[in-house]
Amino acid sequence: MRKILSVIKREYIQIVKTKGFIIGTILGPVLMASFIVIPIVVSVISVGQQERVGVIDLSQEIFEALDKKLDHRLKDGSRRYLLEKYEISTDPEVLRKELSQMVLKKELSAYIFIPKNISEGGVAEYVSQHVSDFDKLKNINEALNSVVIEKRLRKEGLDPQKIAQYIQRVGLKTIKVTKKGEEEDTGGTFLISYLLVLILYMTLFFYGSIIMRGVIEEKTSRVVEIVLSSLKPFQLMVGKILGIAAVGFTQYAIWAIFGFSASRYSKSLISSFFPSASGFKIPSIPPYVFIYFVVFFILGYFLYGTVYAAIGSMVNSEKEAQQLIFPITMFLVVPILLMMFVMRAPNSTFSVVLSLIPFFAPILMLLRICVLLPPFIQVGGSILILVLTILFMIWLTGKIYRVGILMYGKRPSFQEIIKWIRYK
Amino acid sequence: MNALDIENISKKFGDFYAVKNLSFNIHQGTIYGLLGPNGAGKTTTIRMVMNIIIPDEGNIRVLDRKMDEEMKERIGYLPEDRGFYPKMKVGQILLFLAELKGMKKNVARERIDSWLKRFDLDEWKLKKVEELSRGMQQKLQFIATVIHQPDLIILDEPFAGLDPINTKLLKDIMLEMKQEGRTVIFSTHRMEQIEMICDNICLINKAEKVLEGNLSRIKKDYGKNTVVLDYEGETNFIRSLPEIDKIDDYGKFMEIRLKEGTDSQVLLQKLVGKITINKYEVREPTLNAIFIEKVGDKDEKNLISH
Repeated sequence: MRKILSVIKREYIQIVKTKGFIIGTILGPVLMASFIVIPIVVSVISVGQQERVGVIDLSQEIFEALDKKLDHRLKDGSRRYLLEKYEISTDPEVLRKELSQMVLKKELSAYIFIPKNISEGGVAEYVSQHVSDFDKLKNINEALNSVVIEKRLRKEGLDPQKIAQYIQRVGLKTIKVTKKGEEEDTGGTFLISYLLVLILYMTLFFYGSIIMRGVIEEKTSRVVEIVLSSLKPFQLMVGKILGIAAVGFTQYAIWAIFGFSASRYSKSLISSFFPSASGFKIPSIPPYVFIYFVVFFILGYFLYGTVYAAIGSMVNSEKEAQQLIFPITMFLVVPILLMMFVMRAPNSTFSVVLSLIPFFAPILMLLRICVLLPPFIQVGGSILILVLTILFMIWLTGKIYRVGILMYGKRPSFQEIIKWIRYK
Repeated sequence: MNALDIENISKKFGDFYAVKNLSFNIHQGTIYGLLGPNGAGKTTTIRMVMNIIIPDEGNIRVLDRKMDEEMKERIGYLPEDRGFYPKMKVGQILLFLAELKGMKKNVARERIDSWLKRFDLDEWKLKKVEELSRGMQQKLQFIATVIHQPDLIILDEPFAGLDPINTKLLKDIMLEMKQEGRTVIFSTHRMEQIEMICDNICLINKAEKVLEGNLSRIKKDYGKNTVVLDYEGETNFIRSLPEIDKIDDYGKFMEIRLKEGTDSQVLLQKLVGKITINKYEVREPTLNAIFIEKVGDKDEKNLISH
């Protein structure tokens, strides 16, 4: 035990001193803060540009109303969309070609083609070089929609005064109900879940690689056998994994301090700089989320850490390791790809099964806990499955590691590794 | 008391025997040479002694105790593949290794300083290992091996890659350890090193023991039937002489084994006048000759190339 402590101490000090750790620790929160702050800042400060949009109105009854409706303003108070009506003198197709040319020459940013039968179900067209600005498309579509509906209702003889009231959009507020009561959620749950899972994913990946690189370094520098003249391969492996875990906790502790102080001041900070963003609300996170976060980090760390240690012991260089790492990386990436699905249906059978598979469990079970706390039997079950898998992995890795770490030269085949496991 | 007792140990990797039914004993306070061609099983044997590899069969006793993890603190081990964490400082790595050997920090620090001083490395104490030259790193490896004053020192191919200065330094340390009553075991495939310092040897070939015992007695057993000839000239005719049993010709120097009952003076007379003789010495066979005879000619090339 004393020897394992010496190894833990060495690993810890050596890594904490590196530039990579210091930069990572500082950059981490900056990066995470930028996930939250940048989108807000961008949406708030982007002044945008005024756009000239041509309109061909074959129905002859839409343009004025649309021009009135599409009254979005830029930061400086000028209109965002400057609509220009083009009268049809000859063939509409000729005019369309002309306007297309103008769009290509960037004299117009787009033009809207309104067919004659727009009020009877005709489809309008938006023609531009750039058709993926969803915000803009939504603005135009909504404006056009309400103008046309208003027209239809008028034709039906409804009171023009009341039409605006009739066609008013219905809002939908999202409220998250917990045992503590109800709380309005403006996307915060999504954001926090996303952030926590992302932190877990990145750190598992990051610390796994550090373990692997450490093992490879011991092999390539030929120090390993000198160390083994004092302790068992298993002690060296455990010491390394625990030492790097201690580094991980140090980093988390620093981030947690950052995070809590930031969340205390961030709201007032954001709203004092950008008063228009004050609608954004940082949701309160129940403490059990953090406890589970730590639990699943530890479990995930040991699960992936042992696998990374085994891979490191099998290879002679980091380059060689890249090929072997690929399947492990997939195990980490798949849950990230499935995130959206699990978030949408956290209690579906598929989500439940996925979150019990040991290599997916750390990320997906944590995600489910963030979104909607699953029954305890499921959480406890996944923890139990993880612990059993980890014990098995430690045993298996220990067997591979003690042989692999003394092997140089050709990378072992799968059959050879099976043989290693069988050695006494 | 014996420093090491090895009883019938065997180790198989798959279907391949790395070590087969090997036994030998080493007295305390002696220098013991473990020799054999490359791949004979020397490193596997040493790793089993160090408890790094577990033997399939047999017993290993170190310093009259069953070998276990605790005994590692009383052994100094210099592996064949050796190096350090490149980013660690000289003083730190020695302290780390000394701590792993169970030394108290303050004692370790003192001893590290005195060894560094002895090897003229004291100015490098705060430098990173990767900044040191190869020769300096080798010195550091010697220090790491003996820093905890082990009773048993095991060196696997210790002379491989050493320059003449470090070779002498290591030889001095080995003799010093012997004088202090410690036991030194080392493996090599180079005979001249063994002849210089070993008391006893064990020759291993293809996983099995071929020859073991006191070096001077082994040589005596072979008798004074060897002629060492330092010559110039055309020597092809010698091979067909009836007195000759075996010849190792090195171009300017020849080791001849005579047939039993042959008078070395008769051979000398047959050579006089045909070649220039600078030296004609009747002596015991060199270890090299014994080795080659025991191991067989097909391994000869392997040996000479080193």
